[in-house]
Amino acid sequence: MKFTICKKYLTYRDAQSIMYEIFYIGTSIMPFHEKSAWIMTTALLGTSGMYFAVIVSLSNKLGQLAPPLLPLIVIYTVALIVIAVVGHLLIALFSPKDANAPLDERERLIHQRAGHWSGLVIGAGVIFSLALYLFTYNGHLLFYAVFASLIVSTIVEYACQIVLYRTR
Amino acid sequence: MPDCAVPDALNTVGKKHPIDNQIANLRKAHGLTQAALADAVGVTRQTIIAIEQNRYSPSLETAFRIAREFSRTVDEVFDWTET
Repeated sequence: MKFTICKKYLTYRDAQSIMYEIFYIGTSIMPFHEKSAWIMTTALLGTSGMYFAVIVSLSNKLGQLAPPLLPLIVIYTVALIVIAVVGHLLIALFSPKDANAPLDERERLIHQRAGHWSGLVIGAGVIFSLALYLFTYNGHLLFYAVFASLIVSTIVEYACQIVLYRTR
Repeated sequence: MPDCAVPDALNTVGKKHPIDNQIANLRKAHGLTQAALADAVGVTRQTIIAIEQNRYSPSLETAFRIAREFSRTVDEVFDWTET
């Protein structure tokens, strides 16, 4: 074949260039609040995943549902805050002007819409948690169900923001 | 299901948008970038992109600000077709 559309192998420099393009173009196109939503979604997924993995592991060792532990929740909260603060500091360093800008009219609508869906999710989660308690009378399970509802609704809020920023 | 009190400005995905505009043409004619227009109007560049691509209907105030930047009337910049 006379003409080749693409190279057979990517060199290290090609890969580096592609990664740079993805990061640079991605971060320069995204508004600050979308970057913030990405950080919070990632932070929530990571810290919550770790938290519930520890709870599952503890429960397996105990042979029953582990009780909610204050030190674990403190560690979870501190980790979430540290990731959020460091993440926001980093994106603010790259775009200091955008970091101080208030939401514009389209962004306010996006946040309202995302908040609306998040409210529905936490409402459904709390109803489910209460029903779960009525059937099990397990206070620990009630705590985890409400806690999970709170986390899921927050993730839904940020995920909706990302989707709306990208589609509307 | 009621969709709270969010106006229809964002409800345009997959639908023919009734409001068309000449912003991209006027912006190019005036030698303005999307970022420069966004700064002048007081919105983000992404909002200007969304308006140009008919994905978002700006508020009346923003529409007037955009028209003023091009020294045109709102009618000359925006066009509404009943669907």
